[in-house]
Amino acid sequence: MSNIDFLALGPEIAVTAAAVLLLMIEVARKPSARVWGWIAGIGIAAALGLSIAGWVLGRGTDANLYFSDMLALDGFSAFGGIVVFTLTGIGLIAGWGLVTSLRRRGAEFVALVLIAAAGMHLMAASANLIMLFIALEVASISFYVLAGITRNRAADEAALKYFLLGAFASAVFLYGIALVFAATGTLSMAGQESFLGETILLRPGVLLAGIALLIVGLGFKVSAAPFHVWAPDVYQGAPSGVTGFLAAGAKVGGFAALARVLTVPLDAYLDDWAPAVAVVAVASVVVGTLLAIAQDDIKRMLAYSSVAHAGFILLALTAGDAGVEAVWFYVSTYALQVVGAFAVVAAVSGPDTGASPLDSYAGLGKRSPMMAAGLGLMMIAMGGIPMTTGFVGKLGVFRAAIDAGYLWAVVTALVATVAGLFFYLRVIVRMYMDAPGGDAPALEVGRGPAWAVGITSAATIVLGIAPWPLLNMLRDALPF
Amino acid sequence: MALVDYLPIAIMFALALVFAVVSLLLSRLIAPHDPTPEKLEPYECGIVPLQDPVQRFPVRFYLVAMLFVIFDIEIVFLFAWAVQFEALGWPGTIAVGVFTLLLVETLVYAWRRGALDWNIPHRERYRRVVAPEIEEAA
Amino acid sequence: MIVNQFLVLGALLFSIGVYGVLVRRNAVLVLLSIELMLAAVNINLVAFGAFVDDAAAAGQVFALFVITVAAAEVGIGLAIVVLIFRNRSSANVDELDLMKW
Repeated sequence: MSNIDFLALGPEIAVTAAAVLLLMIEVARKPSARVWGWIAGIGIAAALGLSIAGWVLGRGTDANLYFSDMLALDGFSAFGGIVVFTLTGIGLIAGWGLVTSLRRRGAEFVALVLIAAAGMHLMAASANLIMLFIALEVASISFYVLAGITRNRAADEAALKYFLLGAFASAVFLYGIALVFAATGTLSMAGQESFLGETILLRPGVLLAGIALLIVGLGFKVSAAPFHVWAPDVYQGAPSGVTGFLAAGAKVGGFAALARVLTVPLDAYLDDWAPAVAVVAVASVVVGTLLAIAQDDIKRMLAYSSVAHAGFILLALTAGDAGVEAVWFYVSTYALQVVGAFAVVAAVSGPDTGASPLDSYAGLGKRSPMMAAGLGLMMIAMGGIPMTTGFVGKLGVFRAAIDAGYLWAVVTALVATVAGLFFYLRVIVRMYMDAPGGDAPALEVGRGPAWAVGITSAATIVLGIAPWPLLNMLRDALPF
Repeated sequence: MALVDYLPIAIMFALALVFAVVSLLLSRLIAPHDPTPEKLEPYECGIVPLQDPVQRFPVRFYLVAMLFVIFDIEIVFLFAWAVQFEALGWPGTIAVGVFTLLLVETLVYAWRRGALDWNIPHRERYRRVVAPEIEEAA
Repeated sequence: MIVNQFLVLGALLFSIGVYGVLVRRNAVLVLLSIELMLAAVNINLVAFGAFVDDAAAAGQVFALFVITVAAAEVGIGLAIVVLIFRNRSSANVDELDLMKW
C-alpha cells in the first residue's frame, strides 16, 4: 500500500550520495578540486541517466505514485529531472572558477549545488504538499548559503535579503497549505483533486484564501511582481559564478511546483485562480520591463528581465492543463539562456565578485569575440527575436493565454516585449559599437565559461530553428 | 468535550492566582522592611556578585548551540517512525538507518572541519609559541 | 470539536509574525517573527488534523516536518546574521543598503 520503492528516488539518491561522498573524502583526504569535479560529474550524470530512464518508462502514462502518494513518477517529473540536472551540470561548469577560488570550502559549494539539485527535482516530482514544502526548503536553504558563499560584503547582504524574504515566503506558502488542508481534509494532491472534483464546497472561502497564499508563496520563489523585490539585490550581490544557477534553478523548481499545484489538485477551481495569475503575470511583465530599462548593472538588468520572464511564463498557466507544455518549453529554454548569460558575466567580471557594471562590457566584441557573441545571442533570445528559443517560447505562452481568453494580458505583454528589446539591444550596442574604456586587454576566458556559453548557445539556436523535437517531447510531460 | 469539563482547571487556576497574590501581599504587610545595600543586591548563592550578569557570549557558543539544536530536532523523525514501526517494516527500517547515517556523516564533517574544537586560540598559541619553546629547551 | 478558535488563534499569531517582519529592524528579531509565523501554521495544522480526522495523522506529521525545517532555517539564518555582524558590526536590516534599485 505504501509502495516503497527506492528506485523511484534514484536521481535524488545519486546526487545526494555524491554530495555525501564528496564531503567525506574531503575531510578524510583533502583531495584536489579535480576530484570534487569527478564525483559531482558522476553523480549528476547518474541522476540525469535515471531521469531519462524515468522518461522512457513513465512518459505519457498516468503517474505512478510512491511512498504513500508522496512522490509521483510521470512525464512531468522525469522531464523536470532532465532539465534540472542538465542545468546543474552546466551551472557547475560555468562556475568552476568560483569553486577553485574558495579553496577548501569549494567542496561545500559543490555539495550544496548537488543538494539544491535534489531539492529542485523533488519540487517537480512531489505529489503531496508536505513533500513539496520540504523540497522547496531543501532547494531554498541551499540557495541562501550559495548566495553568500564568498562571505564578502555584497554577498552577505544578498544572502540575508534572500534568506529573510525567502523564509517569509515559505511561511506564507505553508499557511496556504494549511488552509487547503483544512478545506479538503488531505495533503495528497491526488486526494485533493478527487475531493475537489467530486464535492461542491458551499463556502469555499478557506480554500480560496489557501490558493491565494500558495500563489503568493510560489510567486516569491519565481520572483513574480509584486513579490520580486529580493531578485535584483540577490542577483547583483551573489558571486557571478553561481548567480546563473540560482536564477535558473529558482525558476525551474518554482514553475514546476506552481504548474503541478495549480493544474492537478486545484484544476476544478481554474476559473477562480486563473484571473489572479493573469494579473500577477501582467504586473510582472510591466514592472520587470520598465525597471530593467533603468539599470546600469547588467546583473540587476537581468534580474528585472527575469521578473518580466516570470510574467510571460505565468501567462501560459492561465490556460491550466493546456498551458503546461508552453510553461515547460519557456522555462527550460529560458533557464539555459540565463545560465549562458551569467557564464559570460562571470568571465567578464570574475566568478567571485558581485557587481558587474554595464560599462565593463564596452568593446567586449573586440576583447573577446566569443563571449560577446554568446551574450549577444542570449540577449536576442531573451528579447524574443525569431530563430531563437525565446521566440518560440513567447509564441507558445501567448497562444496558450489567447486560447484561455486573456487577450488583454497578451496585448500588454506584446507591448512590453517590444519595449524590452530596448535594453537587450543596448547591451549588444555597448559590446560592438563602443570602444573599450582605458587600456582593456583581450579578455582571458577560462575553459568552464567557454564550454557553458558554447553549449547554451548551441541549444538556443538549434531549438530556436527546429523546436519540434522538444515540443513533441513535451506533449508527454504533463502532470498526472 | 463540553466547556463545563474545564471547570476544575479554571478553579485550579484561580486558586493558584489567589495563593500567589495573597502570599506576596502578606509578606509585604507583615515582614519587617529594613533594606541594606547587601540585601538589595541580586542573590547569587550567597556569594557577593563579581560582575554584571548581562554579558556578551563568545560567538563560539553559537556554533555549538546550532549544532545541538539541529541534531536535537532531527531526532524527532525517529519518533514518527517508531509510531508506525510495524506497518513500515524493513523498508522503513532501512530508510531510518540511512537517515541516522546521514546525521552521523554531518557530525563527522563538523568534527573534522573543527566546528567542535572549543579552544582554537589556545591550540593556535600552543602550536606557534609553546611548542617551539619546548623544542628549543630540549 | 470547535475548530474556529484554533483558526482565529493561528490567524492572529500569523498576523503578529507578519507585523514583526515588517516593523522590526534587527535581523534576529525578524527571524523570530518568521518563526512565530511557522508556529501559527503548526497550530493550524494540528487543529485541522484533529478536525478532519485523517487516519494517517498527516497534520501532525507535517507539523513535525515544519519544526525540523524551521530549525534548519534558523541555523542558516543565524549563521548569515553572524556573518553580517562580523562584516559590519551591526545586524540592523536598515543598514543593508549597498544595493538599491
